[in-house]
Amino acid sequence: MKMSVDREITLRMARAAQIRVAPEDVDHMMDSINDILSFCALVGDLDCTGTPDFTWRMKKRPSRRPDREMDWEDRESFKERAPAIEGDFFRVPRISSGV
Amino acid sequence: MSSVESERPIVIGLEVHLQLNTSTKLFCPCSTDYIGRTPNTNICPICLAVPGTLPIINDRAVALGARMGIGLHCAIQNYSNFHRKNYFYPDLPKAYQITQYELPIAVRGYIDIEGEGGLKRIRVHHVHLEEDAGKLVHPTTDGRLTGAAYSLVDYNRGGVPLSEVVSEPDMSSPAEAKEYVSRLRQLARYLDVSDGEMESGSLRVDANISLSNADGSLGTRVEIKNMNSLKSIERALEYEIVRQNKTLGSGGRIVQETRLWDDSEGVTRSMRNKETASDYRYYPEMDLAPIVLTDEEIERFEKNMPELPWEKRDRFSREFGLSKDEVTILTEQKELAAYYESVVNAGAPSGRAANWVRMEVLRVLNETGGSITDFGVSPAALAGLVRKIENKELSSTVGKDILDLMAREGCSLEDAIECSGAAASRLTGDSLRALISSVVEANADVTGIIKSGQDKKGGKMKFLHGLVMKESRGQADPKEVSEVLSKELGL
Repeated sequence: MKMSVDREITLRMARAAQIRVAPEDVDHMMDSINDILSFCALVGDLDCTGTPDFTWRMKKRPSRRPDREMDWEDRESFKERAPAIEGDFFRVPRISSGV
Repeated sequence: MSSVESERPIVIGLEVHLQLNTSTKLFCPCSTDYIGRTPNTNICPICLAVPGTLPIINDRAVALGARMGIGLHCAIQNYSNFHRKNYFYPDLPKAYQITQYELPIAVRGYIDIEGEGGLKRIRVHHVHLEEDAGKLVHPTTDGRLTGAAYSLVDYNRGGVPLSEVVSEPDMSSPAEAKEYVSRLRQLARYLDVSDGEMESGSLRVDANISLSNADGSLGTRVEIKNMNSLKSIERALEYEIVRQNKTLGSGGRIVQETRLWDDSEGVTRSMRNKETASDYRYYPEMDLAPIVLTDEEIERFEKNMPELPWEKRDRFSREFGLSKDEVTILTEQKELAAYYESVVNAGAPSGRAANWVRMEVLRVLNETGGSITDFGVSPAALAGLVRKIENKELSSTVGKDILDLMAREGCSLEDAIECSGAAASRLTGDSLRALISSVVEANADVTGIIKSGQDKKGGKMKFLHGLVMKESRGQADPKEVSEVLSKELGL
């Protein structure tokens, strides 16, 4: 079943994703989302009878691991690669007020 | 019970987060031992969300989540999975939390609590597994976000496994909410699922509270966070009941929001408008395999369940003939219950042992700030002491001194008896008769009343008896004192 979004839902999605959209760009964003939804509908219409699920990666990995601690030798390197640190902490932008 | 009255029926539901007793995080092999650790030392590429890494779930966390579910009489699901809960706080580096959403590990359970009108069943909607977030620090003088130009983050706690127990809105007073959390914590401790320490954050509670409308429909729900003790849960809910009644009573309306409890000020403050599920944009976690539990595995979990608190209460009551109050105190902590049982198994009579454990052992622990797990008096030593009191070789008063010596000085029972002087100075026979004579002589007015038959209720006799016990410093046998005193007064 094909779904679509209108301007109101488009603006709500943008707000939820914390994306600022200029009024003149709303229609373009709405069209883009509807294009994606149309493509999803197209894929949904495909006849997949007999096609095995894409599960090979899951099957190759253990689904659970034992509760055993493992040490990482080079923890300091994480801090060195971080965009900003202060003492032992990672420094991050001031948190936003939420959605 | 609750100290606030409400004009409208109160509806409370709780979400309780328990930090699971695992050695490693939920999806990576980093240690969960983060208290007091240098920030950002329990981290790895997986919990830092370095591209190319994949999470694998901790087997023990799954077992503990299932165990909590079984303890809460839930149905354990053969198939459960994880979602990504998206949000914008940087306390998790992925910008989403991995949590169970549509298919949690355990559903539809309950726990019975002592409600305001007797035993009350609180339904549990579900138990799910999720990862904890890191800790944000705001570099302002008061540590609050307001005024901070940036934030600092410690990811040591990020990824630590939690199980969240979500109740139905079945509680109707702050006291019931407090009792529910107490019982849940006791269960988690009995099951070794979590240490349940609220002060250190191993047990965190979010409360949802609303006041019903006149037509019986549910009112607007407010969520309260940041309650760090059982007492603060009760206080925060009481405050909120008063606030909501006042707002509604003056024609105002309740806003659906999240409020933070400020324990020092004793108030809740608006934090943010309440998010809904769509705000979090839940998305299936495609990097994790679903949790598949076979029937055999679930059966094995059920078989390996330890004795539950209510089962122990029933057994103690049945086997040891104890009262409800005695059983409640002795089984509150499983370690205390085990200690008591060992004292009885070492030969102490169950009733007297119960008195000594719940009164004297707890008194000493309270005074010394210790816990039963490191209590210096072995069950065998306490059993020996209780037997001597039972056999009237020692009085209860002297017994208390001896217990103190054993607990505080680490003495053996024999050494403590020797140190207390109880062995040498037992007051009996001629010495006791002499003491009683002197007490009778010094209280001629009282003895006169007794001899004249005016002491109808026996109050004066009890008074004299008490004086003798006091003078003997508890080294006389109360029964022998009664006998000798009666003879001395010619009764």
